[in-house]
Amino acid sequence: MSEVEGKRLATGRINLLFALPALTLFGLFVLLPIGSSVWFAFTKWNGFTTPEAVGFDNFRRAFRDTVHLWSYVNVTLYILGTLVLEVMFGLVIAVLLNSDRFGFGLMRGMFFSPMILSMTAAGVLWTFVLDYRLGLLNAVLESVGREEWTRPWLSESATALIAIMVVSGWRFAGFYMIIFFAALRRIPRNIYEAATLDGAGPVRQFFTITLPLLRASMMTCILLAVTGGFAGFDLFFTLTNGGPFNATEVPATWIIRQGFDNNQLGYATALTVILAVVVLAVALLFLRISERVNVVRY
Amino acid sequence: MWSATERRRPVEWLQFGLGALIVAAMFYPTVWMVLSAFKSNREIFRDPFGLPDEWRWSNFSEAWAQGGLGGLYVNSMIVTLVAVTLAVGCATAAAFAFSRLEFPGRRWLYRLLLIGLLLPPPVVAIPLFGILRDLGLLNTLWALILPGAAWSLSLTVFVMYGYFNSVRPDMEEAALLEGASTWQIFRDISVPMVWPSMLTMAIVNTINIWNELMFALLFITDDDKRTLPVGLIRFFGRYSTDYAMVFAALTITTVPILALYFLLQRHVIAGLSSTAMD
Repeated sequence: MSEVEGKRLATGRINLLFALPALTLFGLFVLLPIGSSVWFAFTKWNGFTTPEAVGFDNFRRAFRDTVHLWSYVNVTLYILGTLVLEVMFGLVIAVLLNSDRFGFGLMRGMFFSPMILSMTAAGVLWTFVLDYRLGLLNAVLESVGREEWTRPWLSESATALIAIMVVSGWRFAGFYMIIFFAALRRIPRNIYEAATLDGAGPVRQFFTITLPLLRASMMTCILLAVTGGFAGFDLFFTLTNGGPFNATEVPATWIIRQGFDNNQLGYATALTVILAVVVLAVALLFLRISERVNVVRY
Repeated sequence: MWSATERRRPVEWLQFGLGALIVAAMFYPTVWMVLSAFKSNREIFRDPFGLPDEWRWSNFSEAWAQGGLGGLYVNSMIVTLVAVTLAVGCATAAAFAFSRLEFPGRRWLYRLLLIGLLLPPPVVAIPLFGILRDLGLLNTLWALILPGAAWSLSLTVFVMYGYFNSVRPDMEEAALLEGASTWQIFRDISVPMVWPSMLTMAIVNTINIWNELMFALLFITDDDKRTLPVGLIRFFGRYSTDYAMVFAALTITTVPILALYFLLQRHVIAGLSSTAMD
């Protein structure tokens, strides 16, 4: 980030007033809940009684709660899936649709359009696409004579998580495509012209020119996909709500179920503290690594 | 020596064809949704791919009335409009202060504000529930507006701060020499200067807040205060066997947004890609 560290227009405590509205809002609805969750995490609390301190009980329970532990396995698989179906697919499409010819602008716009739908609209729509009886996917399989492949995609443990990854890819690939596309546009044309003169084909050019020059964007995209993936809630809630048999349970859906369906707010808060620590640790580790290769700079 | 344009032609057609095929497959579920919204339940089951035999516009008026979609739209609009205005306004003032002014704690307060970039909102859902209840805001639209705005601040301040730092403060310094107060400088010079970035961030935050689900699910219990995403889920829960109805509701809630997007496509895409840039 280019920084113009010029001289300041004014100095003095009074200038804090400009930042005060933002700091108040942020303090009250972001920092205060983060701070108070550290207290609630050590209590037994159903939301109505006064919280009762129970020491590390909630955390001990969290590490014995097999569904909770599996939710991290599920979310890790989900994140790995999205790295392929969102980030890599987005990159491939960005390269494919990188042209000034007629029609390509519209195609980029259409490819991006699922991003505009709410996750719930996308979720409800895909519930129908994947539906067993009248789903679009099964109808397509039947029409090409592959009836034996049809199945209730979202209610079989073996396919539910994969189905969610596909829906997630459908919705987010356009977002990563746009990031990569913007970066592609900043690569000077003459590098490719020189490579063509040297006899390098398009595939070779992709791996020796495009990919290395996109490394900064790649790091940003991976960071967004990983931190966003851990927080994934909307699609899981709309498509399966953790089912079948907890096969698609992720930390966020399990937290909400423990907290608001089972009224165990103390335990659920402990789970959020664990989630926060995991996400922060992964993000900071990632930033540290990428800083070392000097790409993402805050 | 061979001519580059002559040789590239077939490859370009291949590129166009492949791109069109993938884009068509990606866009097809949306088309399928709109077409199915015009069909009857029987027809959706019998002929999932074709055009409707008869374009049943009545599906839409029925879904609109049954689902109370008008009320959901109004609530979503109020929440989004107020929260986005609040977030972009506060964030611009804060970014101005962090970039142009000096005060004690400037650096660490800025860093503190960025915490929201790394933490996901589910982390605070439960304590936030308690805080909103203590403030008496639970089950009011404020329960969505204030947290929605607060969670938009990190990204908005971050982007606006970067934008301020990329513009030299020459105009502002000139105004200072002419005796303008800090507030006058902010209002008359800085805000018009960073206006394009404010619009960009308004679009980005609008998409996020319009689509917000978790807070809306947890903090609102009255049907008449719900926003579109939750309303849609509840509608789906109630009419899950009345396929035509659900498709009609889906179409009503998504097509206006999609139309708006295709109109503003350039700005939306520029906005979203700028937030992910350095």
